[in-house]
Amino acid sequence: MASVSTATVVPAFARASRATPAAANSGDARAPSDFTLTVNGRDHRLAVDSRTSLLDLLREHLALTGTKKGCDHGQCGACTVLLDGRRVVSCLTLAVAAQGRAVTTIEGLAKNGELHPMQQAFIDHDAFQCGYCTPGQIMSAIACVNEGHAETDADIREYMSGNLCRCAAYPNIVAAVRQARPAMKTASRD
Amino acid sequence: MANAAAPTPKANMGAPAPRVDARLKVTGQARYPSDTPVGNPAFAVLVTSTIATGRIERLDLDGARAVPGVLDILTYENTGELKGVKFGQGSSTSIEDLGPEIQQAGQIIAVVVADTFEAATDAASRVKPTYSEQTPSATFGSPGVTQEDATKVSPQHKHLPQAGDAEAAFAGAPVVIDLEYETPPQHHNPMELFTTTCAWTADHLTVYEPSQFVYGLKNGVAQRLGIDPDKVRVVSSYAGGAFGSKGTMTPRTAMIALAAKRLNRPVKLVATRAQGFTIATYRAETRHHIRLGAARDGKLVGYSHEGFEVSSRPDPYVVAGVEDSAQLYAFGAVATKVNVVHADRNTPGYMRSPPVVPYIYALESAMDEMAQKLGMDPIAFRRVNDTMNSPIGNRPYSSRSLMTCYDQAAAAFGWKDRNPQPGAMRDGDWLVGYGCATAVYPTHTGPAAARVRLKPNGEARVQIAAHEIGNGAYTVIGQMAAERLGIDLASVTVEIGDSRLPPAPVAGGSNTTASSCSAVKKTCNLIRARLFHAAVTANDGPLAGRSADDLMLQDGKVVANDGAGESFADIFRRMGVAVVEDYAEFVPDGLKPQAIADLYAGKVDMVGGSHGDKVMYAMGAELVEVRVHVLTREIRVPRIVGAFAAGRLMNTRTVHSQLMGGMIWGISSALHEATEIDPRYARYVNDNLADYMIPVNADVDQVQVILVSEVDHDVNPAGVKGLGELANVGTAAAITNAVHHATGIRVRKLPIRLEKLLQA
Ligand code: FES
Ligand code: FES
Repeated sequence: MASVSTATVVPAFARASRATPAAANSGDARAPSDFTLTVNGRDHRLAVDSRTSLLDLLREHLALTGTKKGCDHGQCGACTVLLDGRRVVSCLTLAVAAQGRAVTTIEGLAKNGELHPMQQAFIDHDAFQCGYCTPGQIMSAIACVNEGHAETDADIREYMSGNLCRCAAYPNIVAAVRQARPAMKTASRD
Repeated sequence: MANAAAPTPKANMGAPAPRVDARLKVTGQARYPSDTPVGNPAFAVLVTSTIATGRIERLDLDGARAVPGVLDILTYENTGELKGVKFGQGSSTSIEDLGPEIQQAGQIIAVVVADTFEAATDAASRVKPTYSEQTPSATFGSPGVTQEDATKVSPQHKHLPQAGDAEAAFAGAPVVIDLEYETPPQHHNPMELFTTTCAWTADHLTVYEPSQFVYGLKNGVAQRLGIDPDKVRVVSSYAGGAFGSKGTMTPRTAMIALAAKRLNRPVKLVATRAQGFTIATYRAETRHHIRLGAARDGKLVGYSHEGFEVSSRPDPYVVAGVEDSAQLYAFGAVATKVNVVHADRNTPGYMRSPPVVPYIYALESAMDEMAQKLGMDPIAFRRVNDTMNSPIGNRPYSSRSLMTCYDQAAAAFGWKDRNPQPGAMRDGDWLVGYGCATAVYPTHTGPAAARVRLKPNGEARVQIAAHEIGNGAYTVIGQMAAERLGIDLASVTVEIGDSRLPPAPVAGGSNTTASSCSAVKKTCNLIRARLFHAAVTANDGPLAGRSADDLMLQDGKVVANDGAGESFADIFRRMGVAVVEDYAEFVPDGLKPQAIADLYAGKVDMVGGSHGDKVMYAMGAELVEVRVHVLTREIRVPRIVGAFAAGRLMNTRTVHSQLMGGMIWGISSALHEATEIDPRYARYVNDNLADYMIPVNADVDQVQVILVSEVDHDVNPAGVKGLGELANVGTAAAITNAVHHATGIRVRKLPIRLEKLLQA
């Protein structure tokens, strides 16, 4: 049931102490924070309202709209991105808390036009219909494999349960993760 | 590569071509409406009422206005210029105003617009309404609800199916059951939120909003704003799931258009998940009273079904699924009635398979109970009552493969191993039950128009304002064009989801493939005819003098069956044209030519289903295994097998996904989903994705889809029945029946949660 949804994708608040918000001294949350954010290997110098979530920053300030908003409450996984390789829900991550860390979004996966094995596997297994949950599913699936939580179908189901898919492509998502797993391992050995 | 997601086509099935938009969807490049860049947008946040009935006495905006960055606040006091659009004629609801009268909980009462989303959210929380509140009527049984006969208030349901004398049939029947069933309210909850972005250029408005009917929205918004529809464009290239929730105009759109006009700046709204429960529609709760009468050999002699459906106070929304359930078996006599129960709620609306989900759940549960009472196998019972003619007017089915579906599903499932005795099958601590039910969905076809352009190099562009909601519309429309023009799917560019394109009907009633492909086929046929004509009338060409009937298009050439051929490029050169372009309007049999003009004006009429000389339905059989833990009563569905027949299948891959996802929706209906209502305040309690239960990956195990070949020349020129709403029908009954088989406990109120299985 949906109540497991926050178990596998954790908000970055859990480690927010690592961040040092630039505007911490002003005391006014609305005051813009100046900071630099590294997204898909590119540095962005930003000045935004301190309350801006990483999700809204990506979508509304950096035009990286591949990351989706499905609930804004950490309940659906549509906004999943990687922070230093770890999956987080970007709607519950303050943008300022991501400074100094590497953010990877769906736009950062394909290299020189070549799809990541997980992206290709999602196509091969028709692991989506409307495609709205898909960027979050793919980011989560990559982390799932890297965490070692994709060794069995039962594990994949469990550790992909933080990403809701209302079109219910679930069995195809499991098949896609199963296909991409060895390909990802090969790729990382190269 | 071969995999379960891409079944090998059987007779009358198209290739499992990968979705043409797949790459865009896995790279984050597919542009859903709220992804569209508009220059320097302001951000809107809604404020919704906390009461269900009453009046806004005072709206204190001082705190909100004081928030830096706030640009404007729309309330009932400054939105008087918005005009009303009647429910049922373009609008999802009559509750369109921002007040001061409050008619439902979560009614929009203010739109706060600010430079940033953060400031707008902050300010919205500071809007302070003072209400005078009345006690609302929440649902069935609440004091103050009123009830009406649907035939008196719903123009679409003036007549409901009746046949023979049902009372007499029951009086004379040796076996009769008389039972009641209940289904809960449900919300579509597509993963995409309800968004609207509006931008004006001079007096032209562009609306970016996920939509299942861009022409409907365009015309509706124009009416609300009192402007010429030609000045409104609606763009919805992709919808992030819809399931009916984006088929009709909801109040927010005109409000955001007005906000953008007042500011002379694009305005973007992304409503919250909780707001989505009240600013759009939902599947209302229903109650059913069913009687079935049968002879001892299992032959049905009578069926009566009275439905009760909740609607809002002002609007008689009703789905009246007896229209479909009454056609399903050789019932003998039939008596049906539907009642609308008005409560203080938002107006319900279409949700995936609106009429059949609740009504077939009730009927298929009752069928199981009757089989049980007769001591018959439930599949054998359905076989005895299978028919090629509807009991209503004895009209033939255009095609019907129900028992073939049962046979194929039963073989794959291993139904023969079922011990008929409830509670007799057990595996360790798990009680095992097998259940079955019929899936059925009316075939709808609507008018549509398409423009197709073919270039000499064999590239084509198809334009039709159909809708991609996960149904694979881009892909199947492209496949139809590729097939008719003899080119690769990769050579076809499909443009849909834009009201500047020729119109297609609402993506509702599972008509998209049937209607759009019929229009595209017709348009491509015009192009074929022109090429054939040019090829055979040229004195010097290789096909000179041939009959056009012997020609076809293949690999970018016009070819004859003896192998002679001429390339598009040569034919175009002779025709003296750079491209060949045609436009055609398709109107299905049974509709007047006026249907296309109506469609341009945002009104859509469809044929099929229970209407007409032949009845038209897609069908399927769903067999499920349920496990109930003896101690905890946890309920699992380790496997479900569905076999489906729906005429021509354009693409076995997209079809497989729709049917698989549909069955999981059915599991959800059976075991997970319900919107909980606080009866004191007529408010939704679980208006978020953690508390509104839908299946997650760990809830789903084996889901097997079997595609059954079926040919139907009557339904429409494409031969397509449509199945986006087929597989989630009946599933809840199959699971109910399996739970009964496992435990001996009959649950007649959905969803089945484990506390309902705690009785001894
Ligand atoms: S949008 Fe972040 S979890 Fe739903
Ligand atoms: S593909 Fe539509 S929500 Fe997952």
